Amino acid sequence: MNVRAIKGILRKDLIEIRREKTTVFWIIVFPMIWLLIMGGIWGHTSPPVTLKVGVVAQGSGAAPIVSAMGNVTLDGRHLFRVIEFKSERSALKNLSSGKLDAVVVFPATFSENLSRGLPVEVVVYYNRADPQEYQIAKGVIEGFFSGFSRELAERREGVLIETLERFLPENTTSRLIPLIEGTARPLSLEEKNVSGRNISPVLFFLAGVMGIQFLFATMSLIGNGTLREIEKGTLRRIAASPTTAWDFLIGKLLSTTVVIFGSILGLIAFSQLVFGSTIFPSLLGWVLLLIGGAFSMGLGLAIAMLTRNVRATSLTINLVSWPMMFLAGIAVPPSTLPNWARPFVDYFPLGRALKDFRLLEIYHVSPSQVAPDVPWLLAASLAVLILAALTYARTVRTLE
Amino acid sequence: MKALIVKNLRKSYGETEVLKGINLEVEEGEIFALLGPNGAGKTTFIRILTEGLAYDSGEILVFGRPLSKETATLIGYCPQESIAYENLTVRENLEFYADLYNAPKERVDEVIREFNLPPDKRAGKLSGGQMKRLNLATAILHEPKILVLDEPSAGLDVPSRRELWKLILGFRDEGKTVVMATHYMEEAERLADRVAIISDGRVVAVGSVEELKKLAGGESVIHVEGILRGAESIPGAIVKGNALRLRTPNPREELPRLIEALLKRGSEIRLVKVEEPTLEDVFVKLTGRSLE
Repeated sequence: MNVRAIKGILRKDLIEIRREKTTVFWIIVFPMIWLLIMGGIWGHTSPPVTLKVGVVAQGSGAAPIVSAMGNVTLDGRHLFRVIEFKSERSALKNLSSGKLDAVVVFPATFSENLSRGLPVEVVVYYNRADPQEYQIAKGVIEGFFSGFSRELAERREGVLIETLERFLPENTTSRLIPLIEGTARPLSLEEKNVSGRNISPVLFFLAGVMGIQFLFATMSLIGNGTLREIEKGTLRRIAASPTTAWDFLIGKLLSTTVVIFGSILGLIAFSQLVFGSTIFPSLLGWVLLLIGGAFSMGLGLAIAMLTRNVRATSLTINLVSWPMMFLAGIAVPPSTLPNWARPFVDYFPLGRALKDFRLLEIYHVSPSQVAPDVPWLLAASLAVLILAALTYARTVRTLE
Repeated sequence: MKALIVKNLRKSYGETEVLKGINLEVEEGEIFALLGPNGAGKTTFIRILTEGLAYDSGEILVFGRPLSKETATLIGYCPQESIAYENLTVRENLEFYADLYNAPKERVDEVIREFNLPPDKRAGKLSGGQMKRLNLATAILHEPKILVLDEPSAGLDVPSRRELWKLILGFRDEGKTVVMATHYMEEAERLADRVAIISDGRVVAVGSVEELKKLAGGESVIHVEGILRGAESIPGAIVKGNALRLRTPNPREELPRLIEALLKRGSEIRLVKVEEPTLEDVFVKLTGRSLE
């Protein structure tokens, strides 16, 4: 191994990259813009939404609850904008045309059944065109009615206990009361805040942009960088020196690593500066990032050596990277993915390395929970790198 | 000592045999030219010698040692195309190549002076002549014993070409060996101590320029310029644009006949001279083909 030559290749690549403005933009500036956009849109707790709800009251007894719906607020914001309809048909027509988020139909017996202590069935229709909005509308409406139902249960419980206390002996009442309370409120939830470190949603996207760097910038830098040297004839000129093709490859891998990790450090600082929170990776976190980087470099080089054409390489890298950005849970939370996409998160090495990185650095799981993945991730990345090196060796041998 | 010995070198690309058994011996301290038309196999030979391009059979010895990565330090290589990184300055390019060859860092400044190069100018902004000098400078940074040049003056204007020739001759004067591939007859005639004429993957003749010219059989050449009409039909005449060349052992008798034939065909003659044969004439005689 010619150490001086490797250092020379590293230095030469760094100078070239620094002077290519488009490369600097894509590697340094673009990820920051990406983080700014994603962090700006999704990187904070969303304010409560106001749902447009159509209400059909088939009797007059629902007026108080309809009025309550119109008045209920969260963080000073109305949860429902209530629009009353005379008929279920016209309300559903508005729902179908996307003018409403939901339609609530109160039966004619609503008030009567409530006052007599009988069960009441309220029908809700949702607009399911946007799955995410559907989830929100469903959660808010069910939350409202669950609160209303709990309030009602507590009132009925009070009336019942008061009646029992009036007519039954005290020792019997004291044994019945807990049973009545348990019947009225079988389960109660209390929300409390976690003390200690707060997790900023922006950190998820910071890790995502690091993954995007591996998918696009890393693959492109190593793949197209090597191809350009072949196409321009400089690799052949290097081959004429005592430096071997392997020295060249090591230098290229090193320069790509330095540039990408420089970009990641820039992102870490940028996140702290703009959003006030960032990730300072632990040693294991850096190991996971290095594994991700090695995998991407291997994949990028292999694609370049198999296509042997800069344009075809760019196209193939995009064809691989764009789907993986979503399917492997790199840019979007894996929880939003359908079941068929989950294997990509778990078995696409870059997706898995990033998932482990997030668990470790954002959700602070114990390193021992993540460490078992390291050997197979490392093996997979090395395997891809070796495959890339073999395709590279074949290309160099057949340079005509 | 022989700087280079090549024995029965063969190379094929698929079904096409490009080198069909090349045999050469290059003396230390001489300028040795490989003269042949494009496609003759010169560049393939140079690439085997320098870039490690695989060959099918044969043997290459560099100062008695088999060709390998170890002998790469003995060879300086200046390919036909520019190998400079355009975004790097001249100095940065030279520093890079110095790293590849483990050459002393002081050599960078030395060659910048020697080749009169602008050290801080980006390679992409260099003129053709400067770029060629930079290419050559990268080849001699590590002070090789053999300098291998592939079409050194291709694409250069006349002053740049003359400047480059001076540098090549200077290298020879230092006692170093130069092996160069060219299809410019004038370049071979001006620079080379010995010339190997290559055609269709074979060495058809080797010798000094004078020795090779004798292969033309002591024939002279009648050179005619003008508006030549129907000149191609004159037996033995080689016509290139407005010039005609005819080899003949007896110019005194041949010249009037040629002029008459041209005039009969409606040609307008501006210049007539009788010359010694050139290397191109030798090449044509040996191969039946033109160098172009």
